[in-house]
Parts: sequence; structure tokens; C-alpha cells
Amino acid sequence: MKGNLLKFLVIFFVLIQFDSISEEKNYHKELIADWSRIFPDQNRNAGGPMFFKYIIDKEITYKDFKEFNKLYCAVSGSLIDPNAEPDFIYAKESKTGEKICGSYYKCCIPCSCDIMKYSEVEKMKHKFLDGLKEFYVFTIRNPCNKKDFPNRVNKNYFCDGENINDDQVYSLNDKLVIGLLHEGENCKKNDIDFVNSHQVTGRFCELRNNTPLENLKTGMGDIFIKLAR
Amino acid sequence: MKTELYNFFKKIIFLSVLIIPNIVNADFFEDITAKISDNPKRLSYGISVADIDQNGKYEFIVTGFGYPNLALSYENGKLINIANQNIFLDESRKTIGVAACDVDRDGYEEIYFLNTDTYSGTKKHSDRLIDLVESKFLDMFEIKKNKEDLNLTAGRSVACVDRKGDGKYGIYVSNYGGPTRFYEIENKKIKDKSVNLNLDKVTGGRAVVSGHILTDRSDIFAANERGANFLLKNNNGVFEDLAFNYRVDDVIQNGRGTALSDILYRGRLDIISGNWQGYHRAYVLKDNQFKDIGNSKFDKPSRIRTIISADFDNDGYDEVFMNNIAEPNKLFKIRENGKFEEIKLETGLEADGYGTGAAVADIDNDGILELLVSRGESKEQPLTLYKAKIDKQTKYLRIKPINKFGAPARGATVTLLSNQRKHSKTIDSGSGYLCQMEPVAHYGIRKNEKDFRVEVKWTNGSKDIIKINSLNQTIIVNQK
Repeated sequence: MKGNLLKFLVIFFVLIQFDSISEEKNYHKELIADWSRIFPDQNRNAGGPMFFKYIIDKEITYKDFKEFNKLYCAVSGSLIDPNAEPDFIYAKESKTGEKICGSYYKCCIPCSCDIMKYSEVEKMKHKFLDGLKEFYVFTIRNPCNKKDFPNRVNKNYFCDGENINDDQVYSLNDKLVIGLLHEGENCKKNDIDFVNSHQVTGRFCELRNNTPLENLKTGMGDIFIKLAR
Repeated sequence: MKTELYNFFKKIIFLSVLIIPNIVNADFFEDITAKISDNPKRLSYGISVADIDQNGKYEFIVTGFGYPNLALSYENGKLINIANQNIFLDESRKTIGVAACDVDRDGYEEIYFLNTDTYSGTKKHSDRLIDLVESKFLDMFEIKKNKEDLNLTAGRSVACVDRKGDGKYGIYVSNYGGPTRFYEIENKKIKDKSVNLNLDKVTGGRAVVSGHILTDRSDIFAANERGANFLLKNNNGVFEDLAFNYRVDDVIQNGRGTALSDILYRGRLDIISGNWQGYHRAYVLKDNQFKDIGNSKFDKPSRIRTIISADFDNDGYDEVFMNNIAEPNKLFKIRENGKFEEIKLETGLEADGYGTGAAVADIDNDGILELLVSRGESKEQPLTLYKAKIDKQTKYLRIKPINKFGAPARGATVTLLSNQRKHSKTIDSGSGYLCQMEPVAHYGIRKNEKDFRVEVKWTNGSKDIIKINSLNQTIIVNQK
């Protein structure tokens, strides 16, 4: 009895002491502190690729990689609140044409629609501090040869002439990587049904995706779409 | 059996001793607001500590926003307003920022009152630079020859900068929605030198500190809103912004209260900078970059205004007082290795206080700092005054550097050297938000501490070392 009480007290005290000295990494704070390094001219419009490149270049674990990638919007380039919840979505895999389901952290509801319609996913491998990992990333086609490249996006971030600028952004099979699809895997039928019937990814996106480009006022408006279509 | 029980309780007591410091904090402050005579509700902002009547004693100078500016002097156990001349009181103007320094090299400090009657951009009334001449206050900006360069831009904080290290102070004016200004007397005339010194940038200026941050001269750190912070390296009296290079630009945060503090007790000044509803920073210099080492309790976003780094309880470790507006204040103790340990406040919490500024001084000359908090902005509130509840047996040492003109050497750095630490403090040139502390380095003394020496690094980078033979005194160090 006395021994158990003592053990309990020891564990209790150790846990409290540990709590007082342990310090979780603050990914959000780190992105804010490095904002001017991610966006040297402060223009973060459609800046998902800049965030992705900044993160993939870090010497971090896979967990860190995933956590960082929850904190920006691949469509708009906005920072996302650390407590934000993702949308469950699907996107087409470039290689197979199959639907890949997963979680997408967004800054606004229309971004979920835009990423499903205008991006594709690719499987990517990368060696982190804790080993080689495989995951799905959102990509868009090389936008650098577009005649209507949106003027509110800093083309110099992404492009070196008509090529993707690999010094500043990450490309995969000549596609521009704009963000991470979290927990991506081949969709099951009920996953697709869930997305299609969801009030945002289903009904709202159907409405948005059938709206002419010139009438889009919400989300990033037409900036990302012009870049990605 | 008896022995077993004894051993058991001995273990419990040992574990309790380990844990108690983390979960129990006796009330840190004592509320001594009653010492302020005539303390009506008002809109107060910045506070400075200076000797306004040239009698060798410091006063708290409290600005009023459509209320009179005050000069609170400690007399017969009370803080009494001794300002009575209209040019000082200036009730018709809206004063928020204040700093004092000797701009004319007469050995006495002039007082810069920053007035702001609009949030941003052009304002109606200019600032004042108050000088005491034959017992009468006059505004140097009202002299005809000084009217060319009036500051007619909304602003916030001001700080004094001896940029050439020659005892000739200039005033950095942190403007909002217009260019920063830097006033100096040149050919007996007040001139804005900001263009020549690379300081005339337009930003949302909020807070400014100056001292030995990067060089042996007075550098400047300015915390800004809606734009990057400035870290202005002093290159022979001209400034170069290196905030990006040193990673303190914090471009998407909105700067507020800022202070220089020797966070690692290593004999150099680092930067504490609060961000309005953003992460508060504890920047320490390492390998030519500042690293933010604030822990999650310290950096937690709040409605921050003033930040003060000072040893309130004379234990030899600095506290950081974080004055929030319409949100509870916070207090941290900086332990070794830059560990911020929260001290739970009861007195001084001011959960419903509209804190707008605060300053420290040992105004009653008893070796313990007083903390005066000003309040207002969107609700008239009286001033509040606190003092740490401490064991009277604690010891202290106060160092007051005086420059070669006989004025407080604001921007100088004092370092206490002992068997336990190398602890630097700035002689405050302007800090917190809108405020300025007393021009004295105040040290509490640690347990078993001995072998005291003090190094004073003057604004020209030269150093003097003084051996300390006895404690519990204020030592005046004169620049040779």
C-alpha cells in the first residue's frame, strides 16, 4: 500500500516536472518568423509552392514535415490557424487517373473546390531525418509558359523563363508541387460518396465549379485557377 | 517501523521540495497605489523617469491623452504631482510617447513629448521638447528657428540615441504612417536628420529601444506594425537596417512593447519584443543571427502593450513584466539558460485594466523597484503602483552612470561581474511601449554571491571597471 502510494507520487512528480520542462515545437511560429525568407517580396498569392519548397528543404522528420504542411493553404498561400480542421477530399492521380482521397488543410471553403478541380496528385518519395517516406503531393502543370499568367502572382518565384525554377520551388515530372495531401490513399467507394455528398466538397463545389471564371468572387477569386487551369 | 515511516516521509518531503517551485507562487506584488496622491480616472499613456526639476531626484513623468501630463515626485511617503506649468501639463494636446535625455549638453535632460491626435498619417499638433530654463519650462519647438522641422505625423514611441558617442543625444521618433524622424541640435537649431542617417522610412512605428545591441555604439531596434521591424546598426553614426539578416524583421507580426535584456546572463544585451496578439519574442544573438528562445508560456499571443525587464524582487534574476490591455498582465522570471518561468500574479493582474504604459524606478530610494502602470485608451482609469513583496534582508546594488556632461548616460551598458554571473543592463534610452525607465542599472544580489565588479560601457564604446566593496547602495559612475 505504502509502496504503491510512493510509486504513484514519484510518477506524478516526474510527469509534472517533465511537463514543466518539455517544450513542443511550434511550427506556426517558425513559419511566421521565416515569412520574409519564404516570400522575399511579401507577395504570397498562390504561394503554396513556396511554402512546400521551404519545408522540403529543411532537415526535419516526417512528422515535422506533415505538421508544417498543415499550416498553409496550397491554393492561396495563406497561413492557416494551427487549430484548423481539414476537409476530406479527393484528387486525380496524374499517373493512373485514379481518385486519391485524403485531408486538405485550407484557408477557405472554395479552396477545397479549386484544389479538387484544378490540381492532380503525384506520389513522391523523400528522405527525412527518420528515413525514406512516400506520400502524395498536389501538383499543377508547369504554368511558366502561360500567356495569361496571373499578374498578382510573382512569376519570378516559380519560373526561370518557361521552365519551373527548381531553386525556388519543387517540381515533380515537370509539374509544380503546391502542397501535401495528408493521409492520401486510393479512395474507396464510400469515401467518394462522402466527398460528393458533403455540403462543401459536394454541393458547394458543384455550384462553384460551374460558375464562370469571371463571376468568381470568393476564395482566391480567379488567381489560382488562372495559374492552374 | 518508525524508521520506515521516517524514510517514507523524508522521500515525500524531498519530492515536494522538487515540485513546489513549479506549482506554488506566493503573491509577488504588493499594491501600493494608495501612495499616489490625487489619482483620478484618466487616459494615461507613456511613462518616463527623469529629474524634471533638476534636484537630483527622479520623477515619474506620466503622459495624458487630453489629460494633463504629470510629474510624480516621492515626497513624505506619497507620490505627488509637482508639474504645474501649462506648457508641461499641456492638457489640450494628446501625449502618448515620452523620453528624456540631454539633447543640448547642459547636463540636464530635456523631455520629448510625442503628441498624436490621429491614428496614422498627418496630425494637427506637433510634439514638444521641454527644457527647464531658470525654473520655467519652455518648448524648444516653439522657438522660431526650430519650427522648420516639426513632427506633424502621428507617432507612438520615442527613444534617445547618442549616435556618435559624444554625449549629444538625438531623439528617434517612431512615426505611424509617415517617415521616422531623428531630431538633433545642429548649429543651435533642432534639425530632423533622419534622411541623412538612413532613418526616414515610412512604417507603422510602434516601439523603439537603443543601446549596445550589435556594436560598441548605440544601435536601434524598432518594433513596427504592418511592416518589418528595423534593426539599425550604427556605422559611425549612420544607420543600416539589418533586421532581415539578423532574423528579427518579423514582418507579419505587429510589434509592441520592446526591451533590452541580458536573457542568458552572459554580459550582452538581447531583445525582448512583444507582438500584438502575436508571438512574443525573446531574441538572443547566436552566430550572427537572433534566435527566438521564448517558451510556449512566454510567447503566447496577447494584447500586449509594455514590456519591462527588471529585477523587482532583488533575487538577482530579472523578471519580465508584460502589460496587456483589457487582458490580465503576466510576469516571468528569467532563469539560467533563458528559461522563462511564469510567476502567477494576483496583485497586479489587472484583468480589467486598460494598460497603456508602465515604468520602473526606485522612486522611494529604498533599494526596491516600484512599478507604475498607466491605463486608459478606451476607458479612463487611475494609475496603479506596485512593489514586490520581498524579504527586507535581500541585498541590491544600483549603478548610475553619468556622462561627461553630467547627464544620465542613457544607452550605456552596465555589467555586473561576480562569482556567479556576468549580467548586463542598459541605461534606458526608451523602451517598453511609449515609455522609458529610470537611468539606473538595478541589481538584486543572489544567494552566496561575491567578488563584485561593475563594468560600464559608455555610449562611445569605452569601458570603465569599478570594484564594489559594499552593497545596498547607489553608485554614481562618472565618465572621464
